[in-house]
Amino acid sequence: MPTYLARRLGQSLLTVFLTLTTVFLLVRLAPGDPAAAYAPPSASNADLARIRAEFGLDDPLISQYWIFLRDLFTGNLGTSYSFHAPAFDVVMDRMPYTVTLAVSAIAVTTVVVVPLGVWMARRADTKRELGANVMTIAGQSMPDFWTGVMLLTVFAVLFPVLPASGFTTWSGLVLPTVTVAVLQLALVSRLVRREMVSALTSPYVTVARSRGVSEHALTWRYALGNSAVPLLTALGTRFAALLNGVVVVEVVFGWPGVGSLVVRALETRDYPLIQATVLVTATLAILVQLLVDLAYPLLDPRVRLGKAA
Amino acid sequence: MSGTTVLATEGTERPSQVTARDLARATATRTRRSAHVKLWAGAVCTALVVVPVALANLLPLPGANAQDLSRRRLPPLSEGHLLGTDQLGRDLLSRILHGGQVSLSVGVLAVLVSGLIGIAAGAAAGFFGGWIDAVVSRFLEAQLALPLLMMLLLVVALFGPSVTVITCVIAVAQWPEVARLTRSLVLVEREKPYVAAARVLGLRAWQVLLRHVIPNVVRPASLVVLLLLAQAVLLESALSFLGAGPQRPFATWGRIISDGQAYITTSWWLVTLPGLVIALLVVGVNLLGDGLRDRTRRRKGAGA
Repeated sequence: MPTYLARRLGQSLLTVFLTLTTVFLLVRLAPGDPAAAYAPPSASNADLARIRAEFGLDDPLISQYWIFLRDLFTGNLGTSYSFHAPAFDVVMDRMPYTVTLAVSAIAVTTVVVVPLGVWMARRADTKRELGANVMTIAGQSMPDFWTGVMLLTVFAVLFPVLPASGFTTWSGLVLPTVTVAVLQLALVSRLVRREMVSALTSPYVTVARSRGVSEHALTWRYALGNSAVPLLTALGTRFAALLNGVVVVEVVFGWPGVGSLVVRALETRDYPLIQATVLVTATLAILVQLLVDLAYPLLDPRVRLGKAA
Repeated sequence: MSGTTVLATEGTERPSQVTARDLARATATRTRRSAHVKLWAGAVCTALVVVPVALANLLPLPGANAQDLSRRRLPPLSEGHLLGTDQLGRDLLSRILHGGQVSLSVGVLAVLVSGLIGIAAGAAAGFFGGWIDAVVSRFLEAQLALPLLMMLLLVVALFGPSVTVITCVIAVAQWPEVARLTRSLVLVEREKPYVAAARVLGLRAWQVLLRHVIPNVVRPASLVVLLLLAQAVLLESALSFLGAGPQRPFATWGRIISDGQAYITTSWWLVTLPGLVIALLVVGVNLLGDGLRDRTRRRKGAGA
């Protein structure tokens, strides 16, 4: 177990490091001048050159990279060009909003998905279930930005019952959550259905049924218990993906999270901010996946971590 | 539907308690029927979008980029403009259809490229194992942890939003899905006797892989293609929505929606209709993919 944990942590560190390096190179290869975003509009060419020198942007790429790595190990992610503040602090200011949205979307998903998926599996391929099935396909087919704009139009413009953008009251959480949850619901409920159908038709369920175990126990304890690991994996992966930025939904709803920060940082070529965002979101996403893996033995005693399956 | 009638005639000749009605309600029949419904519904939805898009140049439509400032934001069903006009007086239907040509070609090309990369990488990883497998698997894992949309935006910012770049970017985002599936299929396939037989007959490893293993996994692997196409269309529209989509020769669906967003309170059709078109197409393609998958799964189950 400790060896397993050490190896997993080592792999995760490597992944984060490679990601950061890729991003470091990509942003610097991209056209666009960060100094132009930093300087006031009236700045002369000399001013721009001075700012570039100040940021170290004239140095050769390799020495920029060396400085970046050195600072990284001392916990310094640089100063955001556009916020004039430590990039890490800027990201951490926004992080709670993204986490709030991700947690509430995953919570809604979990609450709906289990009963829905179980129902779909029990009623597999009846007319009503086919209808529900097609609905979930529709749910995963609508572009999330479009769903967002439509919800906004109906519930914030035509019938102004909910705030249109920002996060000042808790009711502002409703529309973004619903928008994000629609896709997750569709994806995960289909997974629950698939897992449950195969569990319910497997021999051990037939044996248990022949020994008089109630249908209720068969469904909820036997079949669902054995579907717990894939369900948890899916929810964990979805959650990690949401932490990586619900970019589009955040842009639509003016949500003050990391996603909209990223779009702005890309537009202004704010290198330190882009790097800090990638570091924080990738680390969080990997941690979530690690926690999910560590939870497997709790759900399924057959799983032994660190042993090849 | 035809299946039910065939069963009914058989049922009358059968001296058993199992009636045609029981057969029609049996799980196998229901599964087949719902796969059938999905296939048909999917084909209809897809055709409703794809056929007009393909025929866009033949239909008597105003030019997609022809502006008429005196006829701005006309509602749908206006004279000469079936779906109305946008903020610059361009015909919305024409814009959707011509933009759709770009969106669809990007989607199809991206799926072809990602399919090729995915099958090659997945087959190599599954067949040869060792360090090739280690490298490919690390890529597949890393991709799960990456802030995908953000990386895509970065790359588009780097190389510019041309059709080629967007296609490659989407292909890069999608190949792991094909690779993962191909790898798992090849892992099963390489243990089969015919592979050993081919090796004994003196074929080299790569010859066995190319001539015998890959042809056997291409069919099941290509089933995900339709599902990937749906994702590719969605991804392209999301990129366009964020301003990182192709601009020439025609604005794609995501861009039309993001342009129309400013007028949502007064001109609902500018956002609603293009979104409906995307949803209709993606639902259709997803249904087709799902139905095909159900059908093969049933066949496999029956054969085993």
